[in-house]
Amino acid sequence: MSAKTKLPENHYVNTEPFDARSIEVMTPEQEKVFLASQMKLMWWKFKRHKLAVASGLFLLLLYTMTVFAEFLAPFSLDSRNSKYIYAPPHSIHLYHEGEFIGPFVYDYDRELNLEKMQRIYTPNKDRIIKLEFFCSGDEYYFWSIIPADNHLLCADIEKPVYLLGSDRLGRDLLSRIIYGARISLTIGLVGIAISFTLGIILGGLAGYYGGWVDLVVQRLIEVVQSLPTLPLWLVLAAIMPASWSPILIYFGITVILGLIDWTGLARAVRSKLLSLREEDYVLAARLMGASPSRIIGLHLVPGFMSHLIASATITIPTMILGETALSFLGLGLRSPTVSWGVLLNEAQNIDVVALTPWLILPVVPVILVILAFNFFGDGLRDAADPYG
Amino acid sequence: MLLYICKRVLYMIPTLVLISMLVFFLIELPPGDFFESYVNELLAAGETVDPKHIEFLREEYGFDRPLWERYIKWVSGLPFGDFGWSFEYELPVREVIGDRLFFTIMVTFFTIIFTWLVAFPIGIYSATHQYSWGDYGLTFLGLLGLATPNFLLALIMMYLANQWFGTAIGGLVDPEYIDQPLSWAKVLSVLEHLWIPVIVIGTSGTAAMIRRVRANLLDELRKPYVTTARAKGVPETKALMKYPFRMSLNFFIADIGSILPQVISGAEVVAIVLSLETTGPLLIQALQSQDMYLAGSFLMLLGFLTVIGVLISDIALAFLDPRIRLQGGVSR
Amino acid sequence: MIGLGWKYLIRAVCSGLLFVVIAISAQAAEIPFFQEKIDAGKLPPMAERLPDDPLFIDFEAEKKIEGKYGGDLKLLMGKAKDIGQITVYTYARLVGYATDYSLKPDILKSFDVKEGRQFTFRLRPGHRWSDGHLLTAEDFRYFWEDMVKHPKLGRKGVPAEMLVEGKEPTFEVIDHLTVRYTWEKPNPAFLPALAKPSPLYIYRPAHYMRQFHEDYADATDLLAWVAYAKTRDWTGLHTRMQRQRRPENPDLPTLQAWQNTTRPPSTRFVFERNPFYHRVDSAGKQLPYIDRVIMTIVSKDVIPAKTGTGESDLQARYLRFDNVPFLKQGEEKGKYKTHLWALGKGSQIALFPNLNTNKPQWRKLVRDVRFRRALSLGINREEINEAIYFGLANPSANTVMPQSRLYRAEYASMWTDYDRERANSLLDEIGLTERAGDGTRLFPNGDRVEITIQSSGESTEETDVLELIADHYREIGIKIFVRASQRDIFRRRAYSGDTVISVFNGLDNAIPSAQMSPKELAPTAQPQLQWPKWGQYLETNSKAGEPIDLDEADEQLGLYHKWMSVTSYNSKEEVWHKMLKNYADQVFSIGTVNNSRQPVVVSKDLRNVPEKGIYAWDPTSYFGIYKPDTFWFDR
Repeated sequence: MSAKTKLPENHYVNTEPFDARSIEVMTPEQEKVFLASQMKLMWWKFKRHKLAVASGLFLLLLYTMTVFAEFLAPFSLDSRNSKYIYAPPHSIHLYHEGEFIGPFVYDYDRELNLEKMQRIYTPNKDRIIKLEFFCSGDEYYFWSIIPADNHLLCADIEKPVYLLGSDRLGRDLLSRIIYGARISLTIGLVGIAISFTLGIILGGLAGYYGGWVDLVVQRLIEVVQSLPTLPLWLVLAAIMPASWSPILIYFGITVILGLIDWTGLARAVRSKLLSLREEDYVLAARLMGASPSRIIGLHLVPGFMSHLIASATITIPTMILGETALSFLGLGLRSPTVSWGVLLNEAQNIDVVALTPWLILPVVPVILVILAFNFFGDGLRDAADPYG
Repeated sequence: MLLYICKRVLYMIPTLVLISMLVFFLIELPPGDFFESYVNELLAAGETVDPKHIEFLREEYGFDRPLWERYIKWVSGLPFGDFGWSFEYELPVREVIGDRLFFTIMVTFFTIIFTWLVAFPIGIYSATHQYSWGDYGLTFLGLLGLATPNFLLALIMMYLANQWFGTAIGGLVDPEYIDQPLSWAKVLSVLEHLWIPVIVIGTSGTAAMIRRVRANLLDELRKPYVTTARAKGVPETKALMKYPFRMSLNFFIADIGSILPQVISGAEVVAIVLSLETTGPLLIQALQSQDMYLAGSFLMLLGFLTVIGVLISDIALAFLDPRIRLQGGVSR
Repeated sequence: MIGLGWKYLIRAVCSGLLFVVIAISAQAAEIPFFQEKIDAGKLPPMAERLPDDPLFIDFEAEKKIEGKYGGDLKLLMGKAKDIGQITVYTYARLVGYATDYSLKPDILKSFDVKEGRQFTFRLRPGHRWSDGHLLTAEDFRYFWEDMVKHPKLGRKGVPAEMLVEGKEPTFEVIDHLTVRYTWEKPNPAFLPALAKPSPLYIYRPAHYMRQFHEDYADATDLLAWVAYAKTRDWTGLHTRMQRQRRPENPDLPTLQAWQNTTRPPSTRFVFERNPFYHRVDSAGKQLPYIDRVIMTIVSKDVIPAKTGTGESDLQARYLRFDNVPFLKQGEEKGKYKTHLWALGKGSQIALFPNLNTNKPQWRKLVRDVRFRRALSLGINREEINEAIYFGLANPSANTVMPQSRLYRAEYASMWTDYDRERANSLLDEIGLTERAGDGTRLFPNGDRVEITIQSSGESTEETDVLELIADHYREIGIKIFVRASQRDIFRRRAYSGDTVISVFNGLDNAIPSAQMSPKELAPTAQPQLQWPKWGQYLETNSKAGEPIDLDEADEQLGLYHKWMSVTSYNSKEEVWHKMLKNYADQVFSIGTVNNSRQPVVVSKDLRNVPEKGIYAWDPTSYFGIYKPDTFWFDR
């Protein structure tokens, strides 16, 4: 390697301390990589997956929106106008008869058609409703404490603007989607938290101890996995006491979703632990007298945490879809609680598809969120193995 | 090897017993029983019900016996193919399920074929062109099927097929062919209906399949032997198809376990929306009306098939990979 | 004397002539469906198949036109057990309701009631089961002696409608075509029970059923049958083989117009015409006109969609008012018409304050008639009608519909004006004067007057109406929440008293005549959501539930007992009116609208289906009283 070494007889030993870097000089870039923490490496890797980054940002935005739902929704949840039942989405115009007057919509004329038994709406070019922003509308309690009445887009329920149309009671679909996001978006998070905890604990025990603990956990996993998910949800949802308030039912459903999902994680944890516990550093820790929980919690789990998070991210969509499926079967959440599942369930008939297709729109956020979670999760997973 | 198989088969027994207990317990857990929901259904339709009659029925079907007694009675019939009685259909459970098995197997078979046909090319392309726009685009397409709630997709496709091609709504065959002997016209009618459920159910599975093909293939492609092959000038296709692709297929064998129960469970929600004559809607209905032996035996059957499936894939994998034999088996 | 003799002679000659005419015309028009079998000698010609005096349907009076034979009537059903609807639709009963809701003999040639307690039934001579065996008194005896009174088969006990104060009738066979049932006291429930959509069957095809009966059948044959049917013993076999309401056994002889030919499990059931059916059209041609009824079982969610593409010839089941625009849109392409019939419920959606609720504060409140009246006055029924029912329904209390002979406008309008002021002042009067910051009234102890209304979640219609009502009630300072739970749980909660107010449909029989029982207006059964415990008390002979401790409800029960004991139509009518008036004035349940519309989709070619009708379970038996055996295809 070095030029200064000589033959064995005539040993020349350099007394200078050896500096490896003097031989292999790293470029600043290389240096950055080698010195970077694992988190940093993962972040770099993650950044390369552009779609994942975009998805992550999109999700962040959506979750922020749920916090400000009252402000973002033009109407409050139960504001309705029975003169505008099944009104189609308003289209936004900027120019009226060639003249620019800012964003506005034309008010509808309604006609009851007894022949077709439909309400027919036609835009009336003489009645202009201008869109106004940040002004007063329906009153609400922000975070159920602060009374307020400001909305991003305000509209008067007497002269309503339905950007995504209205439903069978004349309620604004856009507002309902925004409110519904609260439940639909969080249900996956809470569910995953439950399945995560269960998965790590049970999988951890099985993987670390092995033997009969492993055997029992393995059987348990096998039993849970051998039952089809949907019927299981169905049965569990039917058990929930009717006296529960909607909030409790909501939590009940997340628990159900989580209870069935933990097996996959437990499996992953177990097999990872099985291989990791043979590593030298675990033996070292054990010899130094570390307790099993310390070894699992401090030394083993961090080793594959990123992996777990990534695979968890990918199962969130299953939960969101699970909620819609439960609503479809009439279990789980029901109107008047609003979630995307409930909204879709209401749109789940041929009349809607044929006559009022805008009511299917809640499917758009569902699709987007699931796509985003998938890409985000993919990115995370690729990044979780930063040296790969 | 024989010892390993023996061990695995023995392990099945406690699992099956556990499953049967869990199933029975779960089915019993919701408040009320079939007769109560039967009465309430009659009431909802406006009928009057003689409470005495219901008591009689409960007694007749042994619902006045304690829970464990009914469990023993039910479970002891299972190994002999006696699945109990369906109250809703007033028939032995076996006949009710058996009637629908054919269509269910058919739908599942075509769905699996469809999934493979779509997932493989996309998966291979995505793995070989990682992070390209093609990768993103195709994965996106695959995911779209997963992301759209099945029941809505089924409904919309059913409606459009009817509007555009005049396909009769719902079912797997036009009503006039039900109970008819197999004929060319019947087959055509089935094919005309079959593609919607196959696409709807299939698309929801392709995303996962694509992802697995892609991930497995990527893992394989990073291995040194591939680099060596490339370096030695093996043509790109051969370098891909000869070993890496084959190796990445291992997970298929591990997958048999999940395919078996699928064959008879048959995507419940889609089947309900499309009114397919498969077993899925049967199961959901049975659960909802608390037709407990139908639901219970059905779940048990599914559980049994999963366990068998896992067993088969474990044995197959053990044949392929001696390491597993020694370690005591991977399951899926 | 001579005059009388002449009269008889003329009558005899005339009827003889008529008979000849009928016989000739009948011979001329044999049913094509049977022609082959008749030619092969397997079936006698029409004149021999009909009873000696068949039941003539008066086409002129029912505004029907004579039709021609043939065709398949396709129907869609949502469940395997819906095949029982065939017995509801075809509606051949011993006695049945005519279109004016009076009881008329149908399978019976005549019936005779003495003192309301002795019923004598005469059968039609020559009337045959669908397999050609004669229908005789033996078939009635078999039911009573070999089934009800049999020590093993009869464990189920005597049917409730055949008990008066716990006592059963004496049964006599007068001659081979006449039977008699005699009770000690009047049994007004007996005839209506025979005419119900799911009727009391007091006869069985004895010649067929004997082969499954221990007392008659050969023991080894019976064992073989039991093994074949996989039942526990012969009683199970007997029960399974004799089911009339759910005609799953294709071999079971029937008296209905069509007989099942498909053995379950199946998703398509074919019913073929009964060659020995007892009704004829005004020209004397044997009914039904339609050869086969075909029921396809599909999932109920696709039924509106399938109907909208013309896959059903006659469909109302599983269609709802919300489907109407879609159905109207498809008329041209699907070759059908969408008729809008009136839905026969006392109120489409009604609120039931639970007088047996176990929350003391609330019990006191809902038992205060002023509170119930205020709740009724506080509903804006016009808005509900406009928003949900397209303005086609009638705002009304939960009472009989105008189509009923017992209807009086005051019953429908009592306490149903939208009058917020009055409602508010009634509530103030009760002492709910304090209000919280958001306007919700407070109990004297400071609790908020917030009600969770329990719903069985059957339809979105229910939640929608409640959403409107919630807005209306906000104006009178009452806050309501809606909780939808499964049907079973919903019922349980109401029965146990956990529920304060439940929501369900109103009176099941909204077009009664005085002959029909007014039991829905009094605490007589547990399923009555406004007083489940009192109802249970009566139903179980005081073994369970609670005795009535509210005078107004007790008065209703007293009136009901009175109805049971009086025999003349007029005095029954009088009792009915008293009960209806009390019920409306006491607002035992709070109605919204009735007479809302039920879409009835009818194939363009199908004749004799009325454009306007009442769609109800009881007493019209859905299509039953409109006689589907007279429907025919003009193709």
